[in-house]
Amino acid sequence: MMTRADAFVILMAVLLVAGSYAWLWTPATPATQVRVVAGDREIARLPLDQPRQLEVSGPAGITVVEIRDGAARCAASPGSQGICQQAGWLRQAGDMAVSLPNRVIIEVLGDEWVFDSVNY
Amino acid sequence: MQLPTTREDHRIAWLAALAIAVHILEAAIPSPLPGVKPGLANVITVLVLMLFGWRMAVWVTLLRVLAGSLVIGTFLSPTFLLSAAGAGCSLAVLGLAHRLAGARLSPLGLCVLAALAHMTGQFLLAWWLFIPHPALLKLLPVLLSFSLVFGLVSGTIAAMMYQQVSRSP
Repeated sequence: MMTRADAFVILMAVLLVAGSYAWLWTPATPATQVRVVAGDREIARLPLDQPRQLEVSGPAGITVVEIRDGAARCAASPGSQGICQQAGWLRQAGDMAVSLPNRVIIEVLGDEWVFDSVNY
Repeated sequence: MQLPTTREDHRIAWLAALAIAVHILEAAIPSPLPGVKPGLANVITVLVLMLFGWRMAVWVTLLRVLAGSLVIGTFLSPTFLLSAAGAGCSLAVLGLAHRLAGARLSPLGLCVLAALAHMTGQFLLAWWLFIPHPALLKLLPVLLSFSLVFGLVSGTIAAMMYQQVSRSP
């Protein structure tokens, strides 16, 4: 009872659904470099393709920035709640980890500039 | 006061009543995601389209959306607008497909088309009117997958019903 036209429609529908996954679920802008801000000035801007560890000292202690495999993270920070570490690996342009007690911002940037988040 | 009615008016009223009943029963089924439901009322729309033509399907569907929302209590709410946008979009696609393919498309293919068109219509309205945020687009593939599955299910039901109905005189 399925006609040829039905089969064609179903095939097209499956392709459409698969295409929508491929189109809408690919990551937007991958990050290429990391920017580290301590207090009110930028202290480092490093490429993400070279593994590295960076120690940033602030008013509360030392924040450790780790760069590996095209991503950066806050590996250790003196903040008592670990909010900076919980941001995890930053790999999409605009991703950010912030330690307020130590006044450190770790932000990854891509080829084009994007917001870290937008709310309506 | 009595308005003169035709046989066609009565037929529209009966079929719309049937569609409204399905619509309301379906509203009682809990849904994991907003915008996701089986769309069984589509079965009626597609059957009416095949048996009585597109004009009749438009009447039955618009009456279903209007009266269904009045009964459930969602009239003029976002839910109603989404439902109307989906129904409009699916009617347009059904009309086009039926005109182009005619009898070569069985209720199964029509239901799949209607389900995807319904989802696309209501998604575009939701995106344009309620949540104009790019993150909403991440939901579209998931919603389309659901509508494809439900389109196949309702299409199978519609195809079985069509066989029964068209066999009897």
